[in-house]
Amino acid sequence: MTATLAAPAPTRAARRGHPALALAALATAGAAACGAAVLSLLVGIEPISPAQVVAAFTDPAGRDSDLIVRHVRLPRTASGLLAGAALGAAGAVLQGLTRNPLAGPGILGVNAGAALAAVGALALAGLGSLGGYVWLCFAGAALAMAAVFAIGSTGRGGATPVKLALAGAAVSALLHSLTSSIVLLDHDLFARYRFWLVGSLTRADLATLAQAVPFVAAGLLLALALARPLDALTLGDEAARALGARLAVVRGLGLAAVVVLAGTATAVAGPIGFVGLVVPHAARLIAGHAHARVLPLSALLGALVLLLADVAGRVLLRPEEVQVGVTAAVLGAPVFLYLVRRRRIAQL
Amino acid sequence: MRRIGLIFATAVLLTACGGPPAPAAPAAGGGVTVQNCGIEVTVPEPPQRIYAAYQPAIEMVHALGVTDRVVGTAFLDAQVLPEYAEAQAGTEYLPELPSREALLATNPDFIVSGYNNIFSDSGSSSIGTRASLRELGVQTWISGPLCPSADGLSDEAIDPASVTMETVYTDVRGLGRLLGVEDRATALVAEMQERVAAVEQQVAGAPRPRVAVVLQGEDGSFRVAGGKDFVTRILDMAGADNAFADLTGTRHIPVGVEEIISRDPDVILTSTCCDASYTRADAEPDAERIRTHPALANVTAVREGQVHGFLFADRAAGVRVPHAVELMAELVHPDRR
Repeated sequence: MTATLAAPAPTRAARRGHPALALAALATAGAAACGAAVLSLLVGIEPISPAQVVAAFTDPAGRDSDLIVRHVRLPRTASGLLAGAALGAAGAVLQGLTRNPLAGPGILGVNAGAALAAVGALALAGLGSLGGYVWLCFAGAALAMAAVFAIGSTGRGGATPVKLALAGAAVSALLHSLTSSIVLLDHDLFARYRFWLVGSLTRADLATLAQAVPFVAAGLLLALALARPLDALTLGDEAARALGARLAVVRGLGLAAVVVLAGTATAVAGPIGFVGLVVPHAARLIAGHAHARVLPLSALLGALVLLLADVAGRVLLRPEEVQVGVTAAVLGAPVFLYLVRRRRIAQL
Repeated sequence: MRRIGLIFATAVLLTACGGPPAPAAPAAGGGVTVQNCGIEVTVPEPPQRIYAAYQPAIEMVHALGVTDRVVGTAFLDAQVLPEYAEAQAGTEYLPELPSREALLATNPDFIVSGYNNIFSDSGSSSIGTRASLRELGVQTWISGPLCPSADGLSDEAIDPASVTMETVYTDVRGLGRLLGVEDRATALVAEMQERVAAVEQQVAGAPRPRVAVVLQGEDGSFRVAGGKDFVTRILDMAGADNAFADLTGTRHIPVGVEEIISRDPDVILTSTCCDASYTRADAEPDAERIRTHPALANVTAVREGQVHGFLFADRAAGVRVPHAVELMAELVHPDRR
């Protein structure tokens, strides 16, 4: 995030997206995300040296440091990379798609759907495998977004941004009330739901994360493939149509990308606010509005922010641990306010 | 946030009420007044319609022999002790806490709660502050070692100094006076003291293992019982130390799995809860999850087979303590028992 804060107000060239500048920004963000991943392997309650981290991979012998790196920090880091990249890219697609600067994955009912599924999973109890639980959340998120899209595309004009946002709000409200009614009837369930509700990177193990990788990869590729039509869409429906974009197809594919990306992120880490909302703004600030640059940069910045927030959560109140959902919001909110104050952020 | 809360709570504690329950004093109108959590609880005559919320309160009223005056009970963490099983079977029971309205519909004149959250001024389990219930003529009582520093507050405002066995005895005596069963209370305290002393004598001088009492969430996160939780005292009486006794922000502290590895406890206990049918056998799956956790494989407790299923009910401050101390001693000092 420091890179973002230090970035000068974008010049006209940058806003158009100067290729060399954007490339440098991408490279820097990529390096920073890698740095954050290394930091995430190194920082924790137990002091572990870089040599021990290397040894955990090259020569694992069941030492404390091996177990911590392989079974605690590696899954956390991988969760942060996957969920962060997915949330960042999902936010960028969604903001472009809806021309709504306040759009985040939550707006399409992702969190509401995943929450209901999580509560269902918790209520059924005895859910032995974490994997099963994670994928139930994914199914919930995907179903909720599919419902939003189906409702939002009825009527004249298809799935317009306004109709999607309204359908998202309505479906979210419905799902949340269902979730509330379930948890309010069950005191114990409520206590457990409260913990789910705050996103964290400690949920998924490596096996589950390996299952998540193809989903995130497919979502990212689909999003990148839509970069040009998304550019056209930001000019407005009329102009986009004039430029030859097939609105219904672009919206359908774009939402599919968001479903896969945000659904996977929520399944892996629970609901994490702010990253999907703030990161695309930061990316546009740095690299201009062309989605070919905004999308990959958002993915990298998303991973960077989430990893740094998680590392901060480990050390801020040690020995207590703060869940990443909390630190991401606490660190993200001021940055967002700064951006709002500083930039004409509503311009998309 | 929690730190700020703690500082605030400490400030409140220093400036306002707090302190251990004072001995009973005869009230002006001939009734009885007993201090509980810094609040004067006055009854003109012994309450006749008692509501008991949570396991410690439920077992307390049965132990004091006032079962026939109980209009309702709610929220057991596990099976009640065998000696109270018959009494409990004959009382109204809800597995969840009732709402304020549902509870008041039983027309109680006295509510005993084993935990403080029921009287917090917010939160899902709240039925309203003690002051708001007193206005309706309903007197209330919280287990002494869970007293918040002021009405409406909760776990974050517990004074660690009040988390003692003496507070439990004061509780039994105070309730005995209010409910008009003083002799029974005195006998109960004597019996409890005797059983606890017997265990303390058995484990005296033995090396004290460091014990972690943990709850594992579905999401892989851990919470441990800190120094303010009564299990710290139970461990102490059974000749062991809470490995997380220094963490005193609230009763449950969220920690990462690395912190547990770092503290390397000699024994790990689960905190299995909350169903009226639970026995220690139901804690076994929780224990197994810890035994097979890949990151915990090197922890002393796991290596030496010292991960045991344990019930949340056996962490409570109440008449169950002698049972819990005896059980704990069996787990941490099997050679002495």
